[in-house]
Amino acid sequence: MKKLLPRLHLAAFAVLAVLSCAAAPSHAQSATHPSTEPPAFREVVDETGRSVRIPQTVRRIVSLAPNLTETVYALGLQDRLVGDTDYCNYPPDALKKTKVGGGTNPSLEVIASLHPDLVLATKSFNRRETAQSLDKLGIATYATDPHSVADILSSIRTLADVLGAPEAGASVAEGMHRRLDELQHHIHDAPPKRVLFVVWTEPLISTGQQTFLADALRHAGAVSIVNSSQDWPQVNLEEVAKLQPDFLVFAEAQPGDASREVEKLATLPGWKILHAIRDRRYAVISDAVNRPAPRIVSAIEDLARQLHPNAFSEKPADTKKETEKENPLSRAPSFAPLLLNPPRSPHGHPSPAGGCLCGR
Amino acid sequence: MRPLTFRKLFFQCLLLAVILFFVVILALKFGAVPVSLYALGRDLLRVLLGQSSQISSDYGLIIQNIRFPRILLAIIVGASLSVAGTSFQALLRNPLADPYVLGVSYGAAVTAVLGLVAEPHLALPPALAALFTPLCAFIGAVATITAVYFLGRRQGQIESNTLLLGGVITGYFLSAIIVFLLSTVNSSNTRGMVFWLMGNLSTSFQKSVYWFLAAGFLVATGVIYASANDLNILLSGEKEAMHLGVDVRRVRFVVYVAASLLTGLAVSVSGAIGYVGLIVPHIIRLIFGSDHRTLLPTSALGGAIAMVIADTLARIVVAPNELPVGAVTAVVGAPLFIYLLRRRLA
Amino acid sequence: MSPGRSSAAPRAPLESTRVGTEVRLAVEQVSYAYSANPSQAPLFTLEATSFQARPGEIVAILGPNASGKSTLMQLIAGVLSPLSGRILLNGFVIHSLSPRTRAQRIAMVQQESRLLFPARVWEFVMQGRHAHGRSLRFESHTDMQIVQDALLHVSASHLSDRLMDQISGGEKQRVILARALAQQPLLLLLDEPTLHLDIAAQVGLLDALRRLSARYRYTVIVVTHELNLAAEYADQVLLMQSGRCLRVGPPAAIYQRELLEQVFQIPLRVEMRGHGRPRVTILADS
Repeated sequence: MKKLLPRLHLAAFAVLAVLSCAAAPSHAQSATHPSTEPPAFREVVDETGRSVRIPQTVRRIVSLAPNLTETVYALGLQDRLVGDTDYCNYPPDALKKTKVGGGTNPSLEVIASLHPDLVLATKSFNRRETAQSLDKLGIATYATDPHSVADILSSIRTLADVLGAPEAGASVAEGMHRRLDELQHHIHDAPPKRVLFVVWTEPLISTGQQTFLADALRHAGAVSIVNSSQDWPQVNLEEVAKLQPDFLVFAEAQPGDASREVEKLATLPGWKILHAIRDRRYAVISDAVNRPAPRIVSAIEDLARQLHPNAFSEKPADTKKETEKENPLSRAPSFAPLLLNPPRSPHGHPSPAGGCLCGR
Repeated sequence: MRPLTFRKLFFQCLLLAVILFFVVILALKFGAVPVSLYALGRDLLRVLLGQSSQISSDYGLIIQNIRFPRILLAIIVGASLSVAGTSFQALLRNPLADPYVLGVSYGAAVTAVLGLVAEPHLALPPALAALFTPLCAFIGAVATITAVYFLGRRQGQIESNTLLLGGVITGYFLSAIIVFLLSTVNSSNTRGMVFWLMGNLSTSFQKSVYWFLAAGFLVATGVIYASANDLNILLSGEKEAMHLGVDVRRVRFVVYVAASLLTGLAVSVSGAIGYVGLIVPHIIRLIFGSDHRTLLPTSALGGAIAMVIADTLARIVVAPNELPVGAVTAVVGAPLFIYLLRRRLA
Repeated sequence: MSPGRSSAAPRAPLESTRVGTEVRLAVEQVSYAYSANPSQAPLFTLEATSFQARPGEIVAILGPNASGKSTLMQLIAGVLSPLSGRILLNGFVIHSLSPRTRAQRIAMVQQESRLLFPARVWEFVMQGRHAHGRSLRFESHTDMQIVQDALLHVSASHLSDRLMDQISGGEKQRVILARALAQQPLLLLLDEPTLHLDIAAQVGLLDALRRLSARYRYTVIVVTHELNLAAEYADQVLLMQSGRCLRVGPPAAIYQRELLEQVFQIPLRVEMRGHGRPRVTILADS
């Protein structure tokens, strides 16, 4: 028995040696044929908690939401964007991309025909069913879901990482962060204005405290008087009349929408008793504020200037250039260059002389 | 054998009017802004004495400019829908008829959405702009009334079953158009339109609108009431009614137009608030009987009471936010309707 | 009804004093055609028919199904407008009268009544008063009196406060008649009133009609296919077949065996009885 054990050991060792030699050539063989190797994938978890398998290099992107389209452009990755929705209208170049339909019901066929590496979606504009259908087709979908301005920044960074352009993401996010910081610097010691953000008037619908819109208002030195955890609560006009907000805030799609709306409301007995209507104290921002994208910072700045005109003292020309560059569809300049510290779009702030600095 | 006398009718209406009065007082009391009954009484006195300018408190302004007009709107809309529902149930000889069965609310919604899309492109003076949506809605209602009338005719006069079919089909067609419009319209408008469609009494109007609505209600209801006895007999059957001296053709036409106009008025200012026009007539019938001479005015009052209560609940249940009043009427109305249905079958 | 009355008691011969002399209803060469589709041939026609009826008279329109009886009835009621000819009631063309005026003069008794919501018997009978007075009004004392009288005449006073859907078929028929009486008409039209009634009820109804027409001078027109009832109670009979009025006259003149066999397509035997009214016996075999 003593002699047998060493011999068994030897035999086992020999078998193993032979087997490893057999394995080695095949490994060497695969190393010399890289074309049979599949492309590398990453597993990431998107902002809605879904696990997404994304290729290392994303060359073809389809965007299913206007804010994501804007973000892709801001990151400089527009050449990789092969399709977007009917509502993607900024920047103007986005209108030239292949359209896949609306946000709630995009055409899965068109999306598939574009052979995207990644489809971008967002929870508030798109439906879960669309993402699930794309999954079944083997198309990866990455979804964002920002609830605050800070979320938007980190969302842009993460998205840039996912798309393989982390430096661009960092740069955009830092730029936004810097501007917001500067803004805070201007307005941090002014008490926040109490505002009502008006989404709809018949019936009165405003925004709740947990939307990124409410957060944007906070960054602009305002606080919404509507205290609701619902996203789009229907608000009782009596409550608004009791609280008497300092300003009404409107987001307009076309220039002139808001002033027309306010004039209309000024004829109605229920609205007339609001001091903000009576004195025409309202702020208008572009509907970029509805899109969690880089442009939201301009909308926040714009709003801050309207709500806290005295907090800003730099020359009007610089800011005008910067914001007009970003909002080419916006309205004509509305103030005489002689006035110091003119708000970007004045709406009848009562001046000490009792007159009205009405710009339009 | 106890026939209806003026006295009996008067007291029945008085009873309901008194209930309505108390309901209104309660509705004035409750809301986002608390009001004491004493303050209410004092301000009411001031208004009656023509000293309304002395109501200086902000609270007083809120009551006068927001809460009271809203309650007034609830009264008019509730009364209109109930009278329309009663009339359609008699006209169509169908107890399941409600004011929307002939598709008027869908027609109003289609033109309201279209008006919404068109409004920014029209340079309207502000006072008219405030009225634009209700005006568009009313035009749509009238167009639907006319279209369904022609669909529902047979050998020159309205026939119940054909009218019902024509109305239901028109309703389906129009609601498909609404879905199409909503899916192509801007997203924030869609949200607002959906809320409008669910029905709400919170819209503020100029004073003249309330006068117009009240006048419209009184005229249309008066016209229908003049045919109250005819409607009683019509319920026995059209042929019999004709033999008993009812000008069936004329009565049908007049009641159809008046009831549809009532519905159109209500829908154009408040969207489609359901269940009130369907259930209130049934409940009133259980209490006061099916004689339309009683049924029409008591339904009107009953509808007003129901609508003020529903609107008050919509205002206070999730204060400071609001529920759409159509949701409140549905939550209360649907189980009530099932109960009534079972009662009839039993 | 008067249940004590025995059918064996002799009835009086045709009383010329019961029936008035002036003509109340004049049907002059009235014809009608009905087609579902304007381009198709008419499905049904009524050929030119004429007859006259007087106050207090009972007229029977007799014939098998689809003979045009109901159409003629509807023409007389003013519901349909004749294609040619005219129908005059006391000199007025019936069809040109307003529904209200017509209802004051002509009352129709139909077989069944579909009520959507429950109504009491007296309310139902009160509907007959609708044509008298303004449309929107409260019932007057006179109205209530007339309703009570009408119920009395049909021996249904005890049913006054009951609900319509709680009374029997025969009782319902009497109430419907009471409603017609409440209209205080000149013309009383009945379309197959005996269809759902048992024999006692049938006799009771026709007895009441004879009594009422004598007392109140109604002109009664009854559509029926009951040969013997028509023979017993009618003063005048119209024999109809396939849209044509074959013959008009008192029962004795109409009830000829060959004629009736041709119309009703069944072998029968006709006997003339003592008081001038024929009786028909259906022969079961052959």
